[in-house]
Amino acid sequence: MAIIEVSNLKKSFGELEVLKQITFDVKQNEVVAIIGPSGSGKSTMLRSLIHLEEINGGSIAVGGDYLVKDGVYPKQSEVKRVTAKMGMVFQHFNLYPHLTVIENLELAPKLRKLESKEAVRKRSTELLGKIGLSAFANAHPATLSGGQKQRVAIARALMTNPDILLFDEPTSALDPELTGEVLQVMKDLAEEHMTMIVVTHEMGFAQEVADRVMFMDKGEIIESGSPEEVLLNPKFERTKAFLNRSLK
Amino acid sequence: MTLDYFLSIIKPMLEGAQATVLLFFIAIIVSIPLGFLLTLAVRSSIKPLSLFAHGYIYLMRGTPLLLQLLFFVFGLPLLPVIGEHLVLDRFVAATLAFIFNYAAYFAEIFRGGLLAIDKGQYEASQVLGLSKWQTTTRIILPQMFRVALPAVSNESITLVKDTALLYAVAVPELLHFAQTAVNRDFTIIPFFFAGIIYLIMTLILTLFFKRLEKKYTFSG
Repeated sequence: MAIIEVSNLKKSFGELEVLKQITFDVKQNEVVAIIGPSGSGKSTMLRSLIHLEEINGGSIAVGGDYLVKDGVYPKQSEVKRVTAKMGMVFQHFNLYPHLTVIENLELAPKLRKLESKEAVRKRSTELLGKIGLSAFANAHPATLSGGQKQRVAIARALMTNPDILLFDEPTSALDPELTGEVLQVMKDLAEEHMTMIVVTHEMGFAQEVADRVMFMDKGEIIESGSPEEVLLNPKFERTKAFLNRSLK
Repeated sequence: MTLDYFLSIIKPMLEGAQATVLLFFIAIIVSIPLGFLLTLAVRSSIKPLSLFAHGYIYLMRGTPLLLQLLFFVFGLPLLPVIGEHLVLDRFVAATLAFIFNYAAYFAEIFRGGLLAIDKGQYEASQVLGLSKWQTTTRIILPQMFRVALPAVSNESITLVKDTALLYAVAVPELLHFAQTAVNRDFTIIPFFFAGIIYLIMTLILTLFFKRLEKKYTFSG
């Protein structure tokens, strides 16, 4: 069953068409890796799904509800309701620097009164344990390493119980030796059947964890299929050229 | 120098320092929120409001504080028609000038603080489902104040020293009594005392803001 349905998505920045008629589905519990050169529109596409970018045409439906239909957005409360089904993890973490780790986790569920205080505390404690950072509950983000920050960001995104997690180059800002701990947390989530869309440069992760790999270039999806198909036996020249470049 | 003489000059100076301290507290307590409102006005999408705030800041930062003081104390009553209703107590008029002037500077400081906040903070708040109001009050403002703190501290210390401008509009304050004593007794010592009193006041402020900065550190 498709949990995300995107059809004919179009997006321009002024004259520049960054997304041209993008159509794809994501099934429930699926892990989709989106790869492609920088400027291919993959981040813009991901950001459109959670309304960080407004699209100029096409439709996006999440869990059967339209975030945007034929380029027209519903009223704000509906947009909020639809985007609330998703969580997002950013390249630069975007943790709140003035709050401690546990405050970062608890702020949104508390302000949105999603659960009782006790339930929120129980969940944040659980999640901190899961990412292995229980000892850092009262630390400020500035004292953490990049890998730890990103793990906190993942936990924070999980606090609101999203059905789908979006990752925008989650390891691109990290030192190479710190990517492993973040990818491990993502792997664990995949094993728990979290639906995930991951824009990434980590071909290893894409190959190992993703159910499907989509290759984007110049605002289009060029190729989409299993990791074996796209990464090992690409059909299209552009995919081959990109993979050759990125494996060097 | 006898203790009696010391007391005879230090007492009026300390009384004068009361005016200095009073002006300082009124000016800072009113101009900081006012400055913040101006920041919001500058960034407002309502064009006339934003234009007014820009013009106001340009005017208050672009002319000398001394001129503004003279205008408020001696100029207002000379305005045609409304002037006769604007004969204010000199201390009150001077305080108004300080408030209006410092609000413009604080507005610019807070604007700088807002600009320093990464857009990722807004994006994270949006995807976490916070409302605009929650984002502003819980995420943006605390960070803005923290970023602005060193500049606010700096500006506050400048304000302490600027209170000496009251001298120019004949409001008795610390410097006024020092100058009187210097003229009367033909000695330079009261100036040193005045300097020391200013230093003590700025030291207290410096320590206060250092503590604030430490308390609201992002890395504790």
